[in-house]
Amino acid sequence: MADVKIKNVIKRYGAVQVMHGVNVDIGHGEFVVLVGPSGCGKSTLLRMLAGLEEVSDGTISIGDRVVNDISPKERDIAMVFQSYALYPHKTVGENIGFPLRMAKRPKEEIDEKVRHAAGILDLTHLLDRYPKQLSGGQRQRVAMGRAIVRDPQVFLFDEPLSNLDAKLRVTMRVEIKELHQRLKTTIVYVTHDQIEAMTMADKIVVMRDGRVEQIGAPLDLYDRPGNVFVAGFIGSPSMNFLRGTIASTGGVKEFVSEAGLRLPVPPTAATEGQAVVYGIRPEHIGVGDNGTPVSVVVVEPTGSETQIFARAGTDLVNAVVKDRVRANPGQQIGFVIDPANVHLFDRQSEQRI
Amino acid sequence: MHPNKLGWLLLAPTMLILFLFGVVPFFYVIWVSFHQWNPFAADPSMIFNWASNYRQLVFDAQFMASLGVTLAFVFFAVLSELVIGYLLAQAFMKDFPGKAFFRTIHTLPLIMAPIIVGSIWKLMTTPSIGIIPSLLDSWFGYNLNIGQSAMAAFITTVVMDIWHWTPLVTLSLIAALVSLPADPFEQAQIDGANKRQIFWHITLPMIRPAIIATVFIRLMDAMRTVDEVLMLTGGGPGSATRYVGVHIFKEVFPRTNYGYGSAISVIVLYLTIVVCWLLYVGLIAPRNTKKG
Ligand SMILES: Nc1ncnc2c1ncn2[C@@H]1O[C@H](COP(=O)(O)OP(=O)(O)OP(=O)(O)O)[C@@H](O)[C@H]1O
Ligand SMILES: [Mg+2]
Repeated sequence: MADVKIKNVIKRYGAVQVMHGVNVDIGHGEFVVLVGPSGCGKSTLLRMLAGLEEVSDGTISIGDRVVNDISPKERDIAMVFQSYALYPHKTVGENIGFPLRMAKRPKEEIDEKVRHAAGILDLTHLLDRYPKQLSGGQRQRVAMGRAIVRDPQVFLFDEPLSNLDAKLRVTMRVEIKELHQRLKTTIVYVTHDQIEAMTMADKIVVMRDGRVEQIGAPLDLYDRPGNVFVAGFIGSPSMNFLRGTIASTGGVKEFVSEAGLRLPVPPTAATEGQAVVYGIRPEHIGVGDNGTPVSVVVVEPTGSETQIFARAGTDLVNAVVKDRVRANPGQQIGFVIDPANVHLFDRQSEQRI
Repeated sequence: MHPNKLGWLLLAPTMLILFLFGVVPFFYVIWVSFHQWNPFAADPSMIFNWASNYRQLVFDAQFMASLGVTLAFVFFAVLSELVIGYLLAQAFMKDFPGKAFFRTIHTLPLIMAPIIVGSIWKLMTTPSIGIIPSLLDSWFGYNLNIGQSAMAAFITTVVMDIWHWTPLVTLSLIAALVSLPADPFEQAQIDGANKRQIFWHITLPMIRPAIIATVFIRLMDAMRTVDEVLMLTGGGPGSATRYVGVHIFKEVFPRTNYGYGSAISVIVLYLTIVVCWLLYVGLIAPRNTKKG
């Protein structure tokens, strides 16, 4: 167990700079999730933490040592690679037991731990197989197994559940969460999955193009995204954005979209005439007769909820409601918006107002 | 035309050539080995004499001695080539100035005909004119004379074989190392393996197929070494370097004892197969049965 400090970390590959001064503080036993679009540098950051990639500038410390020049072997970390990185010539059992074997632990202890991990991961019947005889999901679980038999300072997971089916993913999610609660080991976890990020993280780090956009608790990011990018990235389906300006009628501020649609805004520091981006989450839109009139484009019932795509002025707006809504394409309905749920961003800087 | 027939037709020339130059001589040698045949003797006809050539072989002390030195030669040469070849391959995996140049230089022995290699080494090892005895004398005060010392002659042939064939091993191991995926090695570092453990647990098993293929090739080749050694030592001193290839040559050509020479060839082929089979059983089969 240890805290991890990433200070002003820069990464260059030759002349190309892919990481531009990243700062993240990870506390003892914290579960930190890195999210961001493909190619934003999540794996690179993880590999630098592991010591597989050199840090071009800045420092990384684990516990109270700066580890920039310390080899992966001495960092005492366990990692699950995005590509699984199984040993092709070793059986599942040998793969899982490998770190223990390298640490020269007694054979009985290795067997016992491998068996236990295999039980958790539902791999018991596969222990004698070779990696090439496994499905993608099974390989991923073997890679997980190899990490969890250890008791490292830090766990690094690079999209460890991306190849599992929905059901197994939920089981594994709970399993990892449980593992974390039991061991209280610091975990850095990369994922593309919104639900994984929201449910597992103590802290989410949102990255884009080698920069940290925002760091915060999952609900903080959801409730108060710092900029348009984070607002659009966190939450699924993603937030609706409308472009327009702030107008004021009789002292009451209002949002006017480019197509002239008027929508309510919360009490805000935005000034009259300011060009803004108006954000509202699909799940915060209700359907009612006294709402803003919109014209239905598509209605998608999923059983538990209904997703409605409608045209508001010229913008396509997505709403998710709990009720079963029956509406035909082209029909006029009303979208009800509570101003308290509205997010306003400056159009120029894209920062939250 | 049926595509299958067309395929056979296209293969026909190759198969014909293979048959004429491979299969026919092979069976012809076996056929000859059951005869007494000396075309330049008073009676040049082939006389069928059952397995008496083979029976004679078993009691041929010279042949048995020759087999023994051959196995020793093959063992030391191939093992050294493997170790040195691996070290060189690892060295060539790193970047250093002039790497391409050294790699090219180091493969030059490969393109030399064995007879040339033998001549060069003979020149280099002839006492009083060769560079090697001269250097050994001035550095270590050792007097290398492969015409007199059996051990020196044996070692020199092994060294010559290493010099000639290590580049082949290096090249095939470089090919194997280059094609290895990176992530098992990264994972092994993370799993706490040190350099030695990575070598034994990851590198070696992963390039094992290439090692086995290379050893097989080298083994079969080394078993039938003739010209280099014939050129360098002529099989001597005494019969210290009279490897089976040399033995067969000396049996067949000066004495024109074709039947007996053929019998030796067949036995050597058989022994080569046995050695390869033993290696196969020792190296490949255990892994397959474990898998099954
Ligand atoms: N060896 C390399 N040489 C040059 N550029 C690299 C190298 N490895 C990664 N990059 C670049 O660094 C950036 C970050 O890559 P990285 O693999 O960290 O992305 P990621 O966030 O993990 O993406 P994904 O979600 O698709 O896994 C990318 O733009 C990538 O092209
Ligand atoms: Mg990645």
